[in-house]
Amino acid sequence: MHVPWSVRRGSFGSGYAVDPLTTALVFSSITALFIGPIADKARLHADVITSIVFPLNMALAFVFLTLSPEVGLKTDVANVLWGSVLSITYPDAVYLTSICATTLALIFLFWKEFFAIMFDRKLAEADGISTKPFVYFIIFLTGFVVTLSLKLVGGLLIFALLFNPASTTLQFSHDMKKIVFLSPIVGAITCVSGLFVSLFLDLPVGSCIVLVSTFVFALAVLLSPKRRRRRQK
Amino acid sequence: MRGNTISQSSNTNLEAEWSQMLFEGATQMHDVIRLENVYTTYEGEKRPAIRNMNLTVNSNEFIYVVGPNAAGKTTLLETINGLLPPSRGKVYVFGQDVRKNGRKVRCQIGYVPQDFIVDPGEPYTALDVVLMGMYGKIGILRKPDRRDLNKATRIMKLLGVDELANRPMGKLSGGQQQKMMIARALAKEPKLLLLDEPFSNLDIDSRQRIPSFIERLHEENGMTIIIVTHNISEISKRCERIVVMDNGEKITDEKLMERPFLLKELYQILGMEVSSRYGLS
Repeated sequence: MHVPWSVRRGSFGSGYAVDPLTTALVFSSITALFIGPIADKARLHADVITSIVFPLNMALAFVFLTLSPEVGLKTDVANVLWGSVLSITYPDAVYLTSICATTLALIFLFWKEFFAIMFDRKLAEADGISTKPFVYFIIFLTGFVVTLSLKLVGGLLIFALLFNPASTTLQFSHDMKKIVFLSPIVGAITCVSGLFVSLFLDLPVGSCIVLVSTFVFALAVLLSPKRRRRRQK
Repeated sequence: MRGNTISQSSNTNLEAEWSQMLFEGATQMHDVIRLENVYTTYEGEKRPAIRNMNLTVNSNEFIYVVGPNAAGKTTLLETINGLLPPSRGKVYVFGQDVRKNGRKVRCQIGYVPQDFIVDPGEPYTALDVVLMGMYGKIGILRKPDRRDLNKATRIMKLLGVDELANRPMGKLSGGQQQKMMIARALAKEPKLLLLDEPFSNLDIDSRQRIPSFIERLHEENGMTIIIVTHNISEISKRCERIVVMDNGEKITDEKLMERPFLLKELYQILGMEVSSRYGLS
């Protein structure tokens, strides 16, 4: 939580000749104030909202860094931190495709075990599922996928792709199968849209992807049929 | 009225069919559960939640475990199904050491936890939740098939919640969720049923109907059942044995046939309300 705000302090504040500490305080206070209400409105845990706000702050920080001429980052470092989808090479694409196919195959094979564990690990154990190997495997797989996605959006913005599409889809469905199926599609659409926004506005790609996907999540919360109350006649 | 009669008659047929299916190939067993000097301590706690527990449950027994809050009743159930490893002593279920063969044993146990309420935002339908109870038994790399789906649907129909199958679990009332959890435990066709305060959220009608259904399962199929409750008024007329716990220890373990006034004595000791159906209050 402190990383993006401190980065913001060094970006927006220094970029626009405003006291960095004041800027950091203002932004962190606004963010902290909104996490609770957004979590309630979106019917999501506060830690999920934090995971959405975290990359949003990072993305904005990087946009401000890019806009301020006196502050700069070395390209190599920036690529690891923020990612650069345009620097992806053919071997990278092969790796990503392989890991994507392997992940899909494993999810298909062990769907019912993952499904039961996601619902309640203790109950899954009580039903006779050995939960430990599956939980450890998911943690390992997440780490593996995150590492291979570094070039795409970077190590700090990856949270956006982990949380935003799933949280967006959750606003429209009560069915976990549909959520698992639709989340990657939403993720892909926001990535492509972010790429075009980046090309159009001449801003960093990773940041634009995060901004678009957060915008789509916010839109989903507002339009979600789950929160629509029926009018009593 | 006519609809009710039809529904009751079709439910009777379903129950008969279910009973037959439930215990196809069931064999007589003895010593379904054996606990030898068991102590169970929660992580970070010094004091064991259950102490020096010795308990033998034979097949086809119908037992109630009663006692005040924090008596160790839930810990006892979770020690039996291996969710909580004992810090001392041995636990055998179906003749197998639960520490070594916990997964295999749990495939044969239907378990309803206490006050299990799903968050309204959770994306699981009631049918998903009931089907999940069978996943361990179905085994790895096998998908639930039409027969599994039929079993789940049938048990939901018997408990009167089949119309809620496709609704989000978290949007159901506490009582409806409790019925779904009972359906989940029964759908896997368990040999041993462990129910932890399973009727606490049910309405008056369901408090009569669902315990009767479980009693019938015990009578017709010989399912071994252990029900935990702190409310003596919930104890079924068909209960054969009562284990009383307090402060982590077994206080009494009596067969009702041998001590017919046990319930009355319990009422006096524990100060709990006993239903008028026993003529004790």
